[in-house]
Amino acid sequence: MTSLDIDPSDILVRYNVKLEKAMTPEDAAAELYPKDELYRQIAVAIFDGEEDDVIEGLEKAIAAGKNPIALIDDALMVGMKVVTDLYDQGTIFLPNVMMSADAMLDGIEFCKSQSDETPVSKGKVVCHVAEGDVHDIGKTIVAALLRANGYEVVDLGRDVPVDEVIAAVKAEKPLMLTGTALMTTTMYAFKAVNDRLLEAGLNVPFACGGGAVNQDFVSTYELGIYGEEAADAPKIADKILAGSSISALKEEFHKH
Amino acid sequence: MAINRYTKMAYDSADDMVFGKCKHPVKAGLGLEIGGGYTTPEVNYAPRPEAGASKEKLVKEYQRITTDIMNRMVQVGFPAVVLETEHVEQMTNNPTWGGEVAHAQKTIMEEFHDEYGIKCALRHTPGDIREDRDFLGLRGDKFNVLMESFEEVAANGADLLSIETMGGKEVFDHAILRNDVPGMLYAIGCLGTMDMDFIWQEITSVAKKHGVVSAGDTDCSEANTAMFIGGGLLDKNLAHTLAIVARAISAPRSLAAYEAGAIGPGKDCGYENTIVKAISGVPISQEGKSSTCAHSDVMGNLVMQCCDLWSNESVEYHAEFGGTSVQCWSESLAYDCALMNTATATGQEKTLRDLFMLSDKYRDPQGYVLAYDNAYRVGEAIVKDGNDIYLRAKNAAIKSVEIMEEGIAGKLELTKFEKGALADAKAALMALTDDQDTFMSDCMTKYKEEVKVFLPENYGL
Repeated sequence: MTSLDIDPSDILVRYNVKLEKAMTPEDAAAELYPKDELYRQIAVAIFDGEEDDVIEGLEKAIAAGKNPIALIDDALMVGMKVVTDLYDQGTIFLPNVMMSADAMLDGIEFCKSQSDETPVSKGKVVCHVAEGDVHDIGKTIVAALLRANGYEVVDLGRDVPVDEVIAAVKAEKPLMLTGTALMTTTMYAFKAVNDRLLEAGLNVPFACGGGAVNQDFVSTYELGIYGEEAADAPKIADKILAGSSISALKEEFHKH
Repeated sequence: MAINRYTKMAYDSADDMVFGKCKHPVKAGLGLEIGGGYTTPEVNYAPRPEAGASKEKLVKEYQRITTDIMNRMVQVGFPAVVLETEHVEQMTNNPTWGGEVAHAQKTIMEEFHDEYGIKCALRHTPGDIREDRDFLGLRGDKFNVLMESFEEVAANGADLLSIETMGGKEVFDHAILRNDVPGMLYAIGCLGTMDMDFIWQEITSVAKKHGVVSAGDTDCSEANTAMFIGGGLLDKNLAHTLAIVARAISAPRSLAAYEAGAIGPGKDCGYENTIVKAISGVPISQEGKSSTCAHSDVMGNLVMQCCDLWSNESVEYHAEFGGTSVQCWSESLAYDCALMNTATATGQEKTLRDLFMLSDKYRDPQGYVLAYDNAYRVGEAIVKDGNDIYLRAKNAAIKSVEIMEEGIAGKLELTKFEKGALADAKAALMALTDDQDTFMSDCMTKYKEEVKVFLPENYGL
């Protein structure tokens, strides 16, 4: 066996260790929870990703007279915002967001089951994986992050024919369409989707990313906005809600 | 064909492992002996997207790619090269397309071999098309199309047969996004291995029928998914301590190809291949600093430590200042191989191996565990219970945790977050049963409930 060894600090820097925040995720979350104890309990359960505790907290709040549909915004989304804010700050990692999003969705379904009212989302987004491509973990992450940020997601799944994408956009009238692909050969379907949307007069922003997809390619079609990371998807949606045009979105999110 | 599990190590010690040499070299193609004392570049490429429009365009594209690479190799005086064609889906779904591409490529390679004597071989890697829009269909109609594809490429010039199988991915994708270590173990170690046992016996039969090499697989669909989600040091999507636990579990999965009759070289993107080589003695392909055209990693030098083929993973065919992309990357790979072969020729191969390894060993927990001395120890943990696909995968995971804990006590710096994820993984592993039947039964119940697209019949369950 080698007798060679080194002092690694001479040749590399563990920047993640160097820059790690002193505060634990739990401490950081505690500073962001709502003050109302009923809401706080639900928010903590969301942060912990504990579905059963979320439902228990909702039951208590409803028993105390809270409106089930109002609880979606006042407790579930507040708890989820704690999670997404800490994710954006780099304090917690993606699996925590996924588990919290699972718990939040269970909570939303429970609230809906307790009321005749229909909740109003921030907006609707249609998500799909390119025709010919079955690699869908990127789309799964995008959909979860969008839901975690309060958007209603219409998930068309993977290997989605162009016709089906166009039909869904016509039917759902989303504020944004997302497309993910792993392979260079399948991403060409995005161009076809773009052309068919334009033909139909549907000028919906079309956020694309994943695997071999790159900014140069997405820049070649009018509706395309390149998302380098899954976490860009809710940020793009937020900008659309705030009134950004497609050209402004390209300007902001095309970083290279 | 029988499955012969590995229950002992091919090498007596980690120090016996070097690049360019392996216990069981493989003769392939036109004069090559892979792992027979020298390293060889393995060039990978993808056609431009528009080339997929028709069979004729694809064949023409691959002719251009092949000619470009072979030309550059002889222009700069390199003695050997392997070309790997990873199929675009049209080539596997239409088996004759893949066959025609293989024939076109091999014809060009034969011309160069005849004229210049350059040693070369062609690897074809059909895509794992065994799925439909909603579900994996590992043993359904698509399986037959896939085997037809192997038949066509083997009959028309491919020397090495490989694939990147998808078995276990439906459960893995669910588990990895939820820090679910038992789920990763079930997906990769159990379901993945069961599918490997199934498909590699079939691929080996095709290879034997056509007199070509049943080469090997990689856990790209799972362990590389974890590595890519993990990303760089500052990315916040997955603890790298978990990514390397997934990688350790992937070693027995990739090993299963050789237990079912494959003989190597293993696939380039199997970063678990140092562990596999330690156990099996087969030659391996690896990628790292010269695959940055395809993706980043955090161990670009380290993975050269024991490679027999040295690969660039994949690059889209297009123009660069220095020629076409495949010319640039093939030249870069070949110079790396020339350096390694010079080290071998001068008796300095172990020194160079150790320099490769040490330059990345402390960069990240993934490289730390895959450093050949530690990789060997993961291998020992696997063969200890080599006949039990569950226990050996669990052993690999636990050993990787132990190695990281030793590293933390030494020079391996981890963040609190990485240490926390490691502690959680350890706790989850230590809580698991030692009984395969109990584990399999519990997981079947859990994941049938949690993963809507999980179909046990894909695994003969």
